[in-house]
Amino acid sequence: MTGPLTPIGTSLKRTDGPSKIRGLEKYAADYYPANFLWADVKRSDHPHALIKGIDLSHVRGLPGVLAVLTHEDIKGANRIGVPEMDQPVLADQKVCYKGDPVVLVLAENKAVMQEALHKIEIDYEVLPAVFDPEDALAEGAPVLHENRSGKNLLIGGAIEHGNGMEAFQVCDAIVEAEFDLPYQEHAYLETEAGIACVDDEGVLEITASTQTPWRDRNELAYALGLPVDSIRVIAPYLGGGFGGKDGITVQGLLGLAALHSNGRPVKMWTSREESFLASTKRHPGRVHYRVGCKEDGTLHAVSCRIVLDTGAYASLGGPVLALAMEHAAGAYRIPHALVEGFCVYTNNPVSGAFRGFGAPQVLAGLEQIIDMLADKIRMDRLEFRLKNVVSRGDETGCGVWMSNSTGIIPCLEKVKEHPFWVQQEEWVNQAGPFKQRGVGIAAGLQGTGYGPMVADIANAKIELLSDGHFRIYSGVADMGQGNNPTNVQIAGEVLGQAADYFELLQPDTACSLPSGSSSASRTTYTFGNALKTAATILKERILTRACNMGLGIYAEDLLLSSGKVFHLTSGREIPLANIAASMSPEERISSYAYTAPVAKHPDSAGSAIRAAGFPHRVFAFACHLARVEIDALTGEVEVCDYLAVTDAGRVLNPQIYEQQVQGGAVQGMGYALWEDFRVENGEVLTRNLASYILPTSMDVPDILSLPVETVEETGPFGMKGLGEIVINLPLPAIANGVAWALGRHIFTSPLTAERILLTMEKRQAE
Amino acid sequence: MNSIFLPYKMGDLWEVKQKDPEAIILAGGTGLLVFLREKGLHPHTIVGLENLWELKQIEMQNGEIRIGAMVTHQQLLESPVIQAQLPGLHQAVTVLGYPPIRHMGTIGGNICTASPAGDTLPSLYVLNAVAELRTPTASRLLPIQDLIKGPGQNVLGRDEILYQIRIPVPSPSAVSFYFKVGQRKALAISVCSLASMLQVAEDEQTIVDCRFAWGSVGPTIMRFPGLEKNLIGEKLSLNKLREFGQTAASMVSPITDIRGSAEYRRMLVSNLPSKMLQTL
Amino acid sequence: MIIHFTLNGENKNLDCAPDCRVVDLLREELGHTGTKEACGSGECGACTILVDGISKLSCLMLAAQLEGHAVTTIEGMSKGEELHPIQKSFVEKGAVQCGFCSPGMVMATADLLQRNPSPDRKEIREALSGNLCRCTGYQKIIDAVESAAAEMRDDA
Repeated sequence: MTGPLTPIGTSLKRTDGPSKIRGLEKYAADYYPANFLWADVKRSDHPHALIKGIDLSHVRGLPGVLAVLTHEDIKGANRIGVPEMDQPVLADQKVCYKGDPVVLVLAENKAVMQEALHKIEIDYEVLPAVFDPEDALAEGAPVLHENRSGKNLLIGGAIEHGNGMEAFQVCDAIVEAEFDLPYQEHAYLETEAGIACVDDEGVLEITASTQTPWRDRNELAYALGLPVDSIRVIAPYLGGGFGGKDGITVQGLLGLAALHSNGRPVKMWTSREESFLASTKRHPGRVHYRVGCKEDGTLHAVSCRIVLDTGAYASLGGPVLALAMEHAAGAYRIPHALVEGFCVYTNNPVSGAFRGFGAPQVLAGLEQIIDMLADKIRMDRLEFRLKNVVSRGDETGCGVWMSNSTGIIPCLEKVKEHPFWVQQEEWVNQAGPFKQRGVGIAAGLQGTGYGPMVADIANAKIELLSDGHFRIYSGVADMGQGNNPTNVQIAGEVLGQAADYFELLQPDTACSLPSGSSSASRTTYTFGNALKTAATILKERILTRACNMGLGIYAEDLLLSSGKVFHLTSGREIPLANIAASMSPEERISSYAYTAPVAKHPDSAGSAIRAAGFPHRVFAFACHLARVEIDALTGEVEVCDYLAVTDAGRVLNPQIYEQQVQGGAVQGMGYALWEDFRVENGEVLTRNLASYILPTSMDVPDILSLPVETVEETGPFGMKGLGEIVINLPLPAIANGVAWALGRHIFTSPLTAERILLTMEKRQAE
Repeated sequence: MNSIFLPYKMGDLWEVKQKDPEAIILAGGTGLLVFLREKGLHPHTIVGLENLWELKQIEMQNGEIRIGAMVTHQQLLESPVIQAQLPGLHQAVTVLGYPPIRHMGTIGGNICTASPAGDTLPSLYVLNAVAELRTPTASRLLPIQDLIKGPGQNVLGRDEILYQIRIPVPSPSAVSFYFKVGQRKALAISVCSLASMLQVAEDEQTIVDCRFAWGSVGPTIMRFPGLEKNLIGEKLSLNKLREFGQTAASMVSPITDIRGSAEYRRMLVSNLPSKMLQTL
Repeated sequence: MIIHFTLNGENKNLDCAPDCRVVDLLREELGHTGTKEACGSGECGACTILVDGISKLSCLMLAAQLEGHAVTTIEGMSKGEELHPIQKSFVEKGAVQCGFCSPGMVMATADLLQRNPSPDRKEIREALSGNLCRCTGYQKIIDAVESAAAEMRDDA
C-alpha cells in the first residue's frame, strides 16, 4: 500500500479500519484473561443516606465468591475526581445518590455474582435529600458534603463586562426567556469496561476504556494509596467516549479488586442499565437570558444566569460551568454583559464532561433568543447575526479576545448563499396537508483546549525501528474520533512515509508519555503539534545521519520517502533500516513536549471561574441550518435537510472531518429532539436503550458539511479542534425551525413530539 | 435454568409440558429473554416451539387465512397472501422492531405477550381474528379479544398453547391502515397506534363498514363498536373523522408512562383517524 | 448440554449451560469477541450474527437454539486478510469510527444485500434501523452499504 507523499488534506483511509471491521480489534470489554474473576458492585438504593452497617455474612461464604470488599479495605484516600477529589471509590460514611457504589464483589461467574449482590444487606439511615439545584442553594437545604464551606455550591461566579445590567436601560428592544435543558446520556456503545491485575513485580496494571490514562494513574495512586510508579494504565481503542470516560469510571473498583484477587486478573463490564445509573451525564440546567439591542440591530446588552446540576459529586462540573459562562455571549460583540453561574450539588446522578462541555446548554438558549430579538426588530435573522458577530481582534460579550483565526463571518455567508437559506420561504410554503414547516439557523463557537486551568501539554514520542519502520507512541486515547490515524497522517507528512510504514502504540503509561486527556477539542490539536515537532526532529537526525553515511553533503539535498532516503541529484538511496542500524536506540527515539497557548488577555471573570479554565484562546466556529417539518396530527418532527458550515481551521483529512461533523450533528439532533434522560427524586426513569431514545438511521437525514478553511497558525498544519463545535448548534437550529413552524418557541427541550403537539393544542385553544 | 427443550413434534411438546407444567414457552425470544433478564429470573424449564413445522405455516383455507403461532414477523412481511389480503397487518409488521427482531419474533409471541403496545394486535382486532388454542387432547376457538385479558395477561390454560390465528378474508373493497406513533421512527414501542378498516360505497364517500382499534391507550387494545356504527352511512370527511376521534378520545383512559402522558395519548387517539385522509 | 453447530464453517461440539446466551458463548467460550454486546436486550443491534444466513440477535438467543444451525460472525466474513466487500467499503467510505457497532452493522448489511441486492438509501436506512451507532450519524454507513451493493452486483 502506498499513499500520497503529502497526505495532509487528503482522505487517507483510517488505519484502524481493517482490524475494527474484522472484529479483531480488542477493546477493553473484549479482554477475558485466563482464570479471571468478575468484579461488580452493590450500589446504593437511596439518594441520600448514612451507612449504619453492612452485613456480609450471607455472602462471604458463598461458593464462587472470592472477595467482598468495602471502604475499609481501601488503604488510600478513597477519593477520586478532578479537580475536586470528592467521590469515593466505595462509599464510606454515606451515600449521596442512588447508584453510589458501596460493596465490591469478586466472583467466579455472573450467576454467583448476581446471588452475592442480592444477599448483601446494607443498613441505611435515610437522610433528607435535595433534587433541584435551586432548592439545594436555599438556606436549610440538606448538605451533601459537610466539609465544604460553600455548602451545596460547587462553584459559582460572575463575568461582568461593560456596564452589566445598567446597559439594558438604553436598549430599544429586549427579549427575555428561561430555558430548561435536559440531561444527555453519552450512550457510547461500549459501556464502561476494563481488566486489572497485579503483576509479579507488584505493578497494578489496568486496561480500561478511558479517555484519561494519565490522570487515572494519578487519581488511582491517591485513592488506593499506591505509589504512582506502581500503577500502569493502558487505553486501547474505546467503543465511544464523548466525555463520559473523561475520568475514572470502573478503574478505581478494578484496581481495588485486583489488589484483593490473590493475583488473579479481574474484569468489569457494566450492563447498560448500570452504565445509565452510574456514568456521568451532560449537566441538566436552567439558563435565563435577557438580551437587548439597538433599533438598528446592534446588540447592546446580555444577561445570563446559568444553574447547572452536577449531582452528587463534582466530576468536571466546575470547568463545565466556566466554559458555559465563557460561551454565554456566543460569538457576538456585545459591549455590556453580566453572566452569573452556579454549579450545584444535588442527590441526583453525577453530571460531568460531555462533548461541548457547557457550551450546548448556553448556545441552546442564546441562539433562540437571538432569533426572537431579530423577529422583534423585524430584521432578517441571518443579517442580524452577521451584523453582530466577532471578527479577529474583537472581544465577545464575555470579554473573550478573538486573538486567533476567526471564521464565523464566512460560515454565516456560506449559509446565506446556500439554496436552503435562499429558498426558505418557498420550501416552507410547500408543506403538504397536516404538515407544518420551518427553517432555523444557529451560530456559535467552541474553545479548543483546557484554557488556563492546567497546562495543556502533550508529549509525543516517535521511534525509528530497526527495520526502517516507525512507531508512534500515542499519548492520547482514540475514542473513535480518529486521532490515531490522524497521527499517522501527520507523521507521514513530516517523514514522507506511507501509512503502512507506521505502527501505532496505544496510550500506555509504561511506554508512552503524559499527554493529557482525549477531550476539549484538543486531542489532535495538542498532541498533533507535539508529534509534528517530534517527527521533524527525528527527520533531521535521519537526514544528518544519511549525510554521515556518505549519501550527500547537505541534508536539504536529501528526500525522506517510504522506507528510504534519496539523494535528489544523484538518485542514490539508503534504506532506512541501514540508517537505523547506525543509530543508537536513544537517537532513534524522538520526543517533544508541546504546550498549547492560552489567553494572556486580562479578563473580567471572577477568580473561581478563571481557575476553572476561563478564557480560551483558539476557537472553532460554525453556523448550522435545519429544515424541519412537523406532523400536525402527531407532533413528530422530521429534520428534512441539515447544513453544517464549520470553521475548524484547515481540514487535515476530509473524510475524518466529515465523520466528526455528521456524527456530532446527529448526536446534537438527539439532544434536540429525542434524548430525554429522566430522573425523578434521584431515581433514573430512563433505565435502558428502550426508554432513552437515541436517533436511529431512520430518524436523521444526510448532513451536508461545508468547511470554511481558515488557517489557524498555532494548530498543526493550520487545524483547530472540531469534535465539539458540531454538537452545539443542532438544538437551537432545530428549535428555531420548529418555532417558525409553530409560531412560538418552546423553552423546554428536547422538543419531543408530545411537547410539540401539546404546544400546538394550546396555541389553538388561545 | 436446568433444561431447555426444542421439540420437533407436537407430541414431544405435550410430553415436556406434562412433566413440567411450569415450563415456560419460548416463541421468538425477543420478549421472553428481555423479561427474564430484567427480572433476574432463571426458569426451571424452557420449551421452545421453533422446530414445530406445523406452527410456521401461512395458508388459505375455507375463506380464512390461517397463520401459525410461530410464523415470524418476517414471514408475514414477505407473504404474498398477507400483502394482498391483509395490507393493514402487513403495514403493522413493517414498523415492528427491525430486521433481526422480525426474523426472530413471532405473531404468537406478540399475541400471548398481550402488551397493549403489541404491533400486530390492533390489526388483528379489526380483522376479527380468531385464535385456535390447543391442549394435548382438545382445541378451542376464541376471538382475539377474548384471548387477551389485560396487560401481559392471556387466558391460556396451563397445558394449552396458541396454535394458530384465523382471519376471515376481508372484502376486496375494504381499505386498511396501521398508524403507529412511537418516540422515533424505528426501534420504537408505540405510544399510540391505530388500525382501521374502511369500506366505502361506490360513490367513494359513503361509509358502509368501518372498524377501528387503538393500541397503547388502555390495558388492552381498545375498540368502540358502538361508535363505529355511528359512522356507517355517513359521508367520509375530515370533520367526521375528527369528531369520531374526539369522541373516542373521551372514552379512553390511557396511562402516563415513560413514553408519553395520558394527555398526549388522548390527543393521538383523537387525531389518528384523520391520518387516513393524509394517506388515502 | 452438548450442542453441535458450525461457526464460520467450522464444526463445533460444545458442552455448555442450557441458559448460556449465544453472545456469551461466542465471546467468553469461543473467544470470538468481534460480536459485541451493548444493551443485552435487543435494543441496539451490536450483537447481530447470521444464523443460516439470517440476521439474529445473539443476546436474545440461547446456545441450545444453535443446535444444527450454521452461525456466521464478523470473524467469518473476511477470508484471512482479504476483507469481504461489505467490510472493504465500510473501511473505504469511512463508516468505521469507534467501531463498536461496526460488526453488527456489517452482519445486518449482509442480511440486507442477500434479500435486496440494489437497495436505495431509504431501504438501507430501514434495514439498519435497529443497529444504533453513536459516532457516525449513519451517513457514511449508508454510503458504504450503497457502495458494497454496487461492488457485489458487479462481481455477481
